[in-house]
Amino acid sequence: MKSKLRVSTFREIKSTFGRFAAILAIIALGVGFFSGVKITTPAMVNTVGGFMTDHELFDYRIISTLGWEEEDVEALRGRKDVRGAEGAYALDLVLNDEAGNELVFKTHSLTEGINVPELLEGRLPENENECLVDGKTKYKVGDRFTVSPENPEDTLEDFTPREVTVVGRIYSPAYVHFERGTTTLGSGAVNGYIYLDRAAFDMEVYTELYVKLDHELDVYSDEYKDYMSDREDGWEKAAEEQAEDRYDRIVSDAEYELAEGRQELEDARAEGQQKLDDARAELDDARAELDEAAEKLTDAEKDIADGEKEISDNEKKLADAKKTLDDTAGTLASGKTQLDNAAAQLAASKKQLDQSAAQLTEGENALAAAQAEIDAGAEQLAAGQAEIDAQTSALNEQYAAFMTEYGQYLGMLDMLPEEQAAAVTAGKAQLDAGFEQLEAARTELESKKTELAAGQAELDKQRTALAEGRAQYEAGKARYDAGYAQYAASLAQYNSGKSRYDSGRAEYEDGVKQLEDGKAELEKGKKEYEDGKAEYEEGLKKYEDGEEEYQDGVTSFDEEIAKAEQELADGEQELRDLKKPDVFLLDRNTNIGYACFENDSEIVEQVARVFPIFFILVAALVCMTTMSRMVEERRTQIGTLKALGYSERAIMSKFTVYAGTAAVLGCVLGYGVGTVLFPKVIWMTYKLMYIELDIDYLFDWKLASIAGAVAIICSVGAAWLSCRYELSETAAGLMRPKAPKAGKRVLLERIPFIWDKMKFLHKVSIRNIFRYKKRFFMMIVGISGCTALLLTGFGMKDSVSGFAEVQYEEVVTADASLVYSPDENGDMPAEIRDKLEDMGAEYACVYSGAWDLVKKDLTKSISLMAPEDFSQLRGKMNFMDTEGSPLDPPEGDEALVSISIAERYDVKEGDEITLRDENMRVMKFTVKKIFDNHVYNYIFVPYEAVARQLGGDCDLNDAYVKFRAGEDVYKAQTVLGKLEGVTNMTLYQDLKKRLTDSMSSLDYVVLLVILSAAGLAFIVLYNLTNINITEREREIATIKVLGFFKKETAAYVLRENIALTALGIAVGLGLGRLLHKFVMAQIVVDMVSFKERILPMSYIYSIGLTFVFNLLVNLVMENKLEKINMAESLKSVE
Amino acid sequence: MSAFVEFKNVRKTYKTGEVEIHALKDATFEIEKGEFCVIVGASGAGKTTILNILGGMDTLTSGSVKLDGREISTLGKKELTAYRRYDIGFVFQFYNLVQNLTAKENVELAAQICKDPLDAETVLEQVGLGERMKNFPAQLSGGEQQRVAIARALAKNPKLLLCDEPTGALDYNTGKAVLKLLQDTCRKSGMTVVVITHNSALAAMADRIITVKSGMVESMRLNTEIVDVEDIEW
Repeated sequence: MKSKLRVSTFREIKSTFGRFAAILAIIALGVGFFSGVKITTPAMVNTVGGFMTDHELFDYRIISTLGWEEEDVEALRGRKDVRGAEGAYALDLVLNDEAGNELVFKTHSLTEGINVPELLEGRLPENENECLVDGKTKYKVGDRFTVSPENPEDTLEDFTPREVTVVGRIYSPAYVHFERGTTTLGSGAVNGYIYLDRAAFDMEVYTELYVKLDHELDVYSDEYKDYMSDREDGWEKAAEEQAEDRYDRIVSDAEYELAEGRQELEDARAEGQQKLDDARAELDDARAELDEAAEKLTDAEKDIADGEKEISDNEKKLADAKKTLDDTAGTLASGKTQLDNAAAQLAASKKQLDQSAAQLTEGENALAAAQAEIDAGAEQLAAGQAEIDAQTSALNEQYAAFMTEYGQYLGMLDMLPEEQAAAVTAGKAQLDAGFEQLEAARTELESKKTELAAGQAELDKQRTALAEGRAQYEAGKARYDAGYAQYAASLAQYNSGKSRYDSGRAEYEDGVKQLEDGKAELEKGKKEYEDGKAEYEEGLKKYEDGEEEYQDGVTSFDEEIAKAEQELADGEQELRDLKKPDVFLLDRNTNIGYACFENDSEIVEQVARVFPIFFILVAALVCMTTMSRMVEERRTQIGTLKALGYSERAIMSKFTVYAGTAAVLGCVLGYGVGTVLFPKVIWMTYKLMYIELDIDYLFDWKLASIAGAVAIICSVGAAWLSCRYELSETAAGLMRPKAPKAGKRVLLERIPFIWDKMKFLHKVSIRNIFRYKKRFFMMIVGISGCTALLLTGFGMKDSVSGFAEVQYEEVVTADASLVYSPDENGDMPAEIRDKLEDMGAEYACVYSGAWDLVKKDLTKSISLMAPEDFSQLRGKMNFMDTEGSPLDPPEGDEALVSISIAERYDVKEGDEITLRDENMRVMKFTVKKIFDNHVYNYIFVPYEAVARQLGGDCDLNDAYVKFRAGEDVYKAQTVLGKLEGVTNMTLYQDLKKRLTDSMSSLDYVVLLVILSAAGLAFIVLYNLTNINITEREREIATIKVLGFFKKETAAYVLRENIALTALGIAVGLGLGRLLHKFVMAQIVVDMVSFKERILPMSYIYSIGLTFVFNLLVNLVMENKLEKINMAESLKSVE
Repeated sequence: MSAFVEFKNVRKTYKTGEVEIHALKDATFEIEKGEFCVIVGASGAGKTTILNILGGMDTLTSGSVKLDGREISTLGKKELTAYRRYDIGFVFQFYNLVQNLTAKENVELAAQICKDPLDAETVLEQVGLGERMKNFPAQLSGGEQQRVAIARALAKNPKLLLCDEPTGALDYNTGKAVLKLLQDTCRKSGMTVVVITHNSALAAMADRIITVKSGMVESMRLNTEIVDVEDIEW
């Protein structure tokens, strides 16, 4: 039996599939939206929080003003709830990339087991010159950075590498948000972070200490919060004690060092004194020696003087002697000359004599020789005669012999043989020649005899002349001998004088010699004296040097001792001044990424609170009306079943199963699509600001059960409620037609002024609209919800995409910001100024700096802008209040505060605000007005006030530049960017584009909202119109019978739809504005304040789209109307 | 000169899947202008089909239907609507008043769309509801509601007034009163009135009586002894 009822139920579904689908769809939509939005925050937290947990994000970051040593890390690591503790170095570093851009990076040392980075690409560093770079930056593996000389000296000392190479791209759990904090370097903005090996840092102490506790609790979970708050006191104490310990160590080390230093000083003092004393003694000895030497020198001087006198006396004597000698010598010399003359005469005579004697002897000898020769000649002649005679005789014999032998032959020569004839002839010739030769020799002999006789005569003549010469010679010889005797006597006389002179001379020579010796001796003595003196002087000099050195030594000794004493005193003072360290125990909430993500993910949760309720409400209403209509339609059937004896439960089950099936299917569909789609789409907009992980799908049984339960309660509950009411009637009553709902006048009719002027058919529609309150409200809720959603969606887009437009078209109207390094006078470098003037650009100089706004225990980093002259800013930066009316510039210590700061940190007009920078300098200002500004957190104050409060230590360093109209700003940027002194040049146009682009992902969210709104509108309209028509089928048939044309019939019914849609839209616009305001208030993005606005086009779109949905439904319904059979009008009332 | 209403060999066949149902096999009759005509027949005889066709609510399979010389069988959907709108006045068994409209408004609803409507209030006074014009149907009795329905049909100033079992949902006396109203209307304004009923007793008050049976016109006769409504009993 029951199964037949089931069959009936499923037939029912088949036959009324439109209605079934409507319930299914609205449930799917409601559940989808509800669970999708609900699951987004947990899914996001699961993804990012899971990342942080998996990568061991620190639980505590502990900072001490004295830093930490490995000993401290060890000590904290030893605590029982600790999984790991690591010391780390961190500093802000200015790097240049390969393109030459100057960038500031947060630079960290890698830590083991805490804040483990996720390697997206590449590998971990293997040496100190390799780094891991922020995965949100554009830098890739293989890129190089050079450490800029712009870095402060300390940093360059603390960070050893001068060039680092990227070996990996990472996401760090400590930097899940794209915000990287601020820095005192450069323009104050941080471009990213890098991680390096510890070896890259050369620092004495760790700058921070990270602690990871031993737990696996989910981030942001209450368990985690409890866990942490349980430990907070203990850890605070531990950190403080550890810092105290570190302080004590420093103090005791210092004291020990001071004591050691003091000892060293004393030792050094004693040693130095000893050395000085020794030197003194040595010097004194030297002095004594010198004095002795001086005395000796004086004696020597006297001796020398005496010697000199003696010598001069002797010299005089010698000179006299010499004179006498010289006179004598003169006399002697003249005598000598005379003697020599005489001797010479004598010698000449002698020579003449000797010559004569020799000549004579020679003559005699020659004479004798000539005699001998003549004698020999005579003899020879005689011998020759003899020989000739001998030869003549020999020859005669030979001739005779020959004649005897050959004479016979002489006449017969011709008869003789030839040979014998020749020999005979030759012999005869030979003999003839011999005769001839002998004859010649005889002749010659005779001539010689004659000659010899002549020679003999000559010789005799000469002998006579010779004898005469001899006599003359003898007379000369006698005269010479007499002269010689005379000369010999004079010579003897001279010789005796001469010898006397010579002995005197020798005596003198001896004297001279003696004198010379004395003189030499004196000279030697003198020399010795001089040497001694020189030596003495040298000694004296040395002594004096020694003395001086000694004096210097004494002075420097005193100085050094004094210095050392001062140093010790300073050290002691320093030690006395050493403050107890300040310790900061920072938990995860101080991490920008951690804190921001918690806030941002809550945005969706906030939104999740409103939207789903709305959808569930609509779903419930739709189910309710649909089911009650269905129950009404099946009144007779219910009555019949009841009459047949079916239990109420069984009858009811037909409807509850119908609704329940739709609900379960819708729920599954909605949950499936919603929980996948929503987190994905919403995360797409979020991940721009966070690490770009893929979102994890999260299945939440609890959520699924809640969604399912709500869906089932709505649908089955509605069915049950409707049935219960009907079932309370009796079977008979049920089978009777239900009395139609009575007509009623509406309120409007009491205002005849309007009512009477209305067209009749419009009146009809109006009555109908108000006839069914439930349906009316449902229609309004559905339609207004649709419009509100659309308006919110479009408005979100307007606000979010528009804020950049408003910012850079209405608020900031300059073209660029030019950050420069001021010259030594603190002015804009002339080169830049000239170039700007060349270009005809206007500019206004400001001081810009990163400051913290301090409010109670809250600090917020802001950009402080202090224009030199507010009037120059006109046309470049416009100060307006939120209503758009211009504001006056601040004066004195007044400040204009941007709305984002004002809203988020509750700063109001007239408040006093405190600003502080990294160097703990403090300024105070009074808030004059809040101004409309959407990008960055600005506070504007007069430059004069800043300079005054800081004592002048702030140069203008930034300029708002407005180029001439039509200037190619990009070209201008390139030209200006190249100039020295330009640190950074940003075009606002670029910023606007970047911001707009980054927000364009919101389109997906808007699309999602629009689709949901469309779904909502369509389902509601379709369902209600459908109910409306089926309910009024009879009426419609009747008016058709009455002759209403197709259009008129459609209008008669659908006019109500249109009117309700219009009404719904009106309500929806108001609702949408509220919803938009609410949603925008939830979407809080740091440094950006959205312009809460909805453009007129968005109103038009929202209204238009709602009407389009309405029209689509009407089109579908018109066909349905067409199908209504007029015969219906004839049927009896069911 | 042909009759005011002319039904000639009208055949109406409904096709439901394979089955053909002949609601009207071959119906031929005519009604003269100003006549009070009653069509009687048992349930399923085909009288409602005749009414539907005559009222322009349904088309015929074959044959010809003429009203005041105009052929209806060939009219298109839109022309049929116009025909219903200008030529026909309809009175339903269950009145079919729009619950959300007052008596007067219900009349006006019909009058609105006509070329030459009668004044709603006058018509309502004619049907004796001058006092109740501003009441909603739920506040009226069945008879009164039917009077409003008649007024609504009359206000259109139609050529033909078709009434489908006008007394079917009414008690005896009220039914009589309604019939009287219809008869008076016919007599006084010369309106051609066709009443469809299963109650053959009513035939006595008609000028013309058409009897339908099994999709055929069994008989058509002119009533020579017209009985006043008050005198009819059933």
